[in-house]
Amino acid sequence: METFLNIVIVGLLLGGIYGLVSMGLNLIFGVVRIVNFAQGELVMLGMYGAYLSWYLLGLDPYLSALVVVPCLFVLGVIIQRFVLQPLQNEPSMQIFATFGLLILFQNIVLAITRGTGYSVHSEVSRVVLSFEDINISLSRLIVLIMVILVAVGANWFLHSTMYGKAVRAVTQDRRSARLMGINVELAFMLTFGVGSALAGLAGVLLAPIYTLSPQIGGNFILAAFAVVVLGGLGSVWGAFFGGFIIGLIEAFAGYYLNPELKHAIWFLVFIAVLIVRPGGLFGIAGAEEVGLREQD
Amino acid sequence: MMKLTRRAALAGAAMALCLAAGGTAMAQETFKVGTINPYSGPLALYGGEVNRGYELAADAVNEAGGILGRQVEILKGDATNPQEGIAAVERLATRENADAFIGTYLSAVAGAASETALNYNKLYWDTNALATNLTERGLPNYIRSGPYSVSFADVSIDLILNSLAARLGKQPGDLTVWLEHEESVYGTSIAEHQKERLEAAGVKVLGIGAHSYKSIDLTDSVLRARDANPDIWVQTGYVPDGNLLLRTARDQGFKPKATVFVGTGDTKETLEAMGADGVEGLLVVSYPRPDISEDYGPGSKAYLEAYRAKYGEDPIAPQSMAAFVGFKIMAQAINKAGSAEPEAVSGVLGSFDEPLRTYETGFGAKFDDNKQNQRAYPTVIQWQGGKQVTVFPDDAAGDNKMVNIGN
Amino acid sequence: MNKTDGQAMPAALAGNGATMRPKVTTFGTELGRIGAIGVFFAIFIVLFRGDPFILNMMAYTFLFAALSTSWNIIGGFGGQFSLGHGVFFAIGAYTTANLYFHWQISPWLSLVPGMILAAMVAVAVSWPTFRLKGPFFAIATLALNEVALVLATYFDGITGGPRGMLLPFKAGLENMVFTSRLPYAVIMFGFLLVSLVAAAWVLRGRLGYYLQAVHLDEDAARAAGIDVLKVKLTGMAVSAALTGIGGSLFAMYLRFVDPPTVLSIQDIGVKFLLIALIGGVGTLYGPLLGALLIIPLESYLRATLGGTIPGINLLILGGLLVIFALFMRRGIFGAMQGLWERRRGARQ
Repeated sequence: METFLNIVIVGLLLGGIYGLVSMGLNLIFGVVRIVNFAQGELVMLGMYGAYLSWYLLGLDPYLSALVVVPCLFVLGVIIQRFVLQPLQNEPSMQIFATFGLLILFQNIVLAITRGTGYSVHSEVSRVVLSFEDINISLSRLIVLIMVILVAVGANWFLHSTMYGKAVRAVTQDRRSARLMGINVELAFMLTFGVGSALAGLAGVLLAPIYTLSPQIGGNFILAAFAVVVLGGLGSVWGAFFGGFIIGLIEAFAGYYLNPELKHAIWFLVFIAVLIVRPGGLFGIAGAEEVGLREQD
Repeated sequence: MMKLTRRAALAGAAMALCLAAGGTAMAQETFKVGTINPYSGPLALYGGEVNRGYELAADAVNEAGGILGRQVEILKGDATNPQEGIAAVERLATRENADAFIGTYLSAVAGAASETALNYNKLYWDTNALATNLTERGLPNYIRSGPYSVSFADVSIDLILNSLAARLGKQPGDLTVWLEHEESVYGTSIAEHQKERLEAAGVKVLGIGAHSYKSIDLTDSVLRARDANPDIWVQTGYVPDGNLLLRTARDQGFKPKATVFVGTGDTKETLEAMGADGVEGLLVVSYPRPDISEDYGPGSKAYLEAYRAKYGEDPIAPQSMAAFVGFKIMAQAINKAGSAEPEAVSGVLGSFDEPLRTYETGFGAKFDDNKQNQRAYPTVIQWQGGKQVTVFPDDAAGDNKMVNIGN
Repeated sequence: MNKTDGQAMPAALAGNGATMRPKVTTFGTELGRIGAIGVFFAIFIVLFRGDPFILNMMAYTFLFAALSTSWNIIGGFGGQFSLGHGVFFAIGAYTTANLYFHWQISPWLSLVPGMILAAMVAVAVSWPTFRLKGPFFAIATLALNEVALVLATYFDGITGGPRGMLLPFKAGLENMVFTSRLPYAVIMFGFLLVSLVAAAWVLRGRLGYYLQAVHLDEDAARAAGIDVLKVKLTGMAVSAALTGIGGSLFAMYLRFVDPPTVLSIQDIGVKFLLIALIGGVGTLYGPLLGALLIIPLESYLRATLGGTIPGINLLILGGLLVIFALFMRRGIFGAMQGLWERRRGARQ
């Protein structure tokens, strides 16, 4: 029983990581409708940002979010304005461009660091909360708390502020939103900026858990895509619960079945769910069609 | 319209190919060695480190008169996968007139690259690839001077049977071990050989766990091992997964009596991740480090100084010294043969009979029928107070003592 | 705003397909063009027959041009952005490798079972996944590639597991193993011609029009009486079968097959799509153009810069890809077409 409970907690903590990484991707995917292959690299840049802040300024990684998150926001706005917006009419070229960015970012970091595996120091990452036989690493617990805060915040923002409502309007029908006087381009820029900032936040919070490498973003990105699609396009709670579902499947499959097969198992579950519910678990029925519908 | 397309395609293709053909060869005055390693991609750091070993060896060899009376020149061939290995060898063999090839941090690259080198009847000398089947192919131009996966497995098991068992006060029959490994060829082949040898010695292998070095979470692997409660936890992997396992084991309160890492875990990348107290007592089977006793590795101190002088820092990983030694043995062999032709070099291999502790890494040189050096072994370090201390085998350890394990 | 604003992927045909092409050609015309391309490259091969380095690059370029052309049948014409073609590639590679390794069956013969198996698996996995559209389909196929990677690593009885399969070096025409690079260039060239002819045949045949109709508007196509699923599955089967051939040839070219090599997302799966995109997705000759640009460019950057600063070659490649995307929004083929239209417009 205790083992079972332990695995549940392991799965939830892992789900928090997946959920946090997926939040930004979900926003970009859902609103701007871009399959952003470079999202994992934005997380990676956030991690290195935390390292740099620690190395240069001596900032605790958790404090460095104050520096890193705004930087990533600006980077996201720049990417949207100068790379993706000019390609707005060529969605497949946007994919191509994000792949170019992926290669670019990875190798900029590789060229600078030679690929040395850095670690970010934080006293927090050594703290473990123990209850009987169950151990919870504080740094992972912070990720879990943060993903809840981000989900609640994003939900409040999208439903209770004018800007949020504008974003939702753009998501649902670009043409009508434009007719209502919403500046779609601006909404996209800010959305991509926020999506990128969320990736930066994820990077900062994950930096104390992992050994940094220029390729680490690739380890997150597939899971993040799966979470977003599984949860439901553009649905904040979809990404939130999608992360936990995948985290729990991975933890159970890894412990009780076979760690070697855990990824195959959750990918298969993911594909199966998608086939039964193409809109995702929490997506509005037909949401998957929105991506295809011609919009002006 | 199509005419334009074709014309442009022609121009484009011709231009691209001409560009590629740009680096033509110069007069043949130096002895050119193509060094095949990943210099980009995820393993760039280690590929670069291996190449530093070659550069230092080239300096040393040049000082001693070079190869076949010619000064040695290093030509880097970047290859992160087998197809790039082929392309790199083709380019260096035909465009740069490389005389011989040396490598390789990646076993998959070594296989394809050495066969391509054979097409040009060029020697392919390997110092760092680990896969067993590379030498089993019996390729006429493929010689390996460094340790391979079996040597790594052997040393880790010797450590357990000859040192740890006694320290833990147990007979091999009472000892329990959990084998963890990353799931590519490197981790898998070492773990399989470890299991074979442990079971032959009567040690109980409680389980074998495989994981991807790209894993985001390894708590499941650690819990499986922890719940099996082994005396010794053995892990073969890369740096990111090794660090994540160590962290997770600490968080989950998994404290086996001894932890043995194979391949990685002896660099400052692990020290920085875990802190000095986090790695205290950890044993790592890896390439011999420059700080092994001068008695075991004669010249290792001089090597370290040369490295510091050339690169202004300490070696990031110990792979470079094995590369250095391998390059020197290759130079010896070619000079002995009087030619860099694979047949000639293979012909003189039989005359090598250098005992262990001849070279900087403590290697000797004695090649078997598959042209594998049988006298190349990794050593074992233990983290003590944030320093890597060579503790096994005993003659490599010198006065160093193992701490923190058993009695 | 432009009328295609915001149309989600796949929009390849929206701007550069039927609407802009001056007139629709017949299969015969395309055969003639492919013949001309064939003659041109044949001369190229003859000219460089003594240069293994160029021959090797040609072999690799032709292979990827052919693979991307094959991908384009379902990805471009049909608009189904599969990122899982690495699976079919791997099936071809493992089929040939197994038959050659265990039963010494000539790779020439095992091309056929490799093709059939790839097509069968393609139909089996696409049946359910074709319920998904646009990016959802792309991501699901990406996931399939990952599943295949895990399974190929795990089931070592068939695949040799992580150790891979090292195929013995026994030179000879019947083994498709050669010491010279010339035969490889010729074989890959043949594969390129086969895939171009197949693509032209699909494009200019009933299947091609159905695929394009499905691509442009699935509901309208269905309303017009097209069996959408059947069309997509047929297109996928043809595409996968050709991809399987590519995998077989690749296995014999490397004489080594292991999961990370044949199921690499960056080097295999996504590359087909990138090449098609840069060349001109949905056009017959776009993938060939893309491969002629990307493969030599990549090798050139690796050869000249690969040993200097780690990753600098890829850094430049990534930057160039972004710039290409910005300045050739519809690929090289689209850019050329635009140039051509403008010149013709100026003349009139």
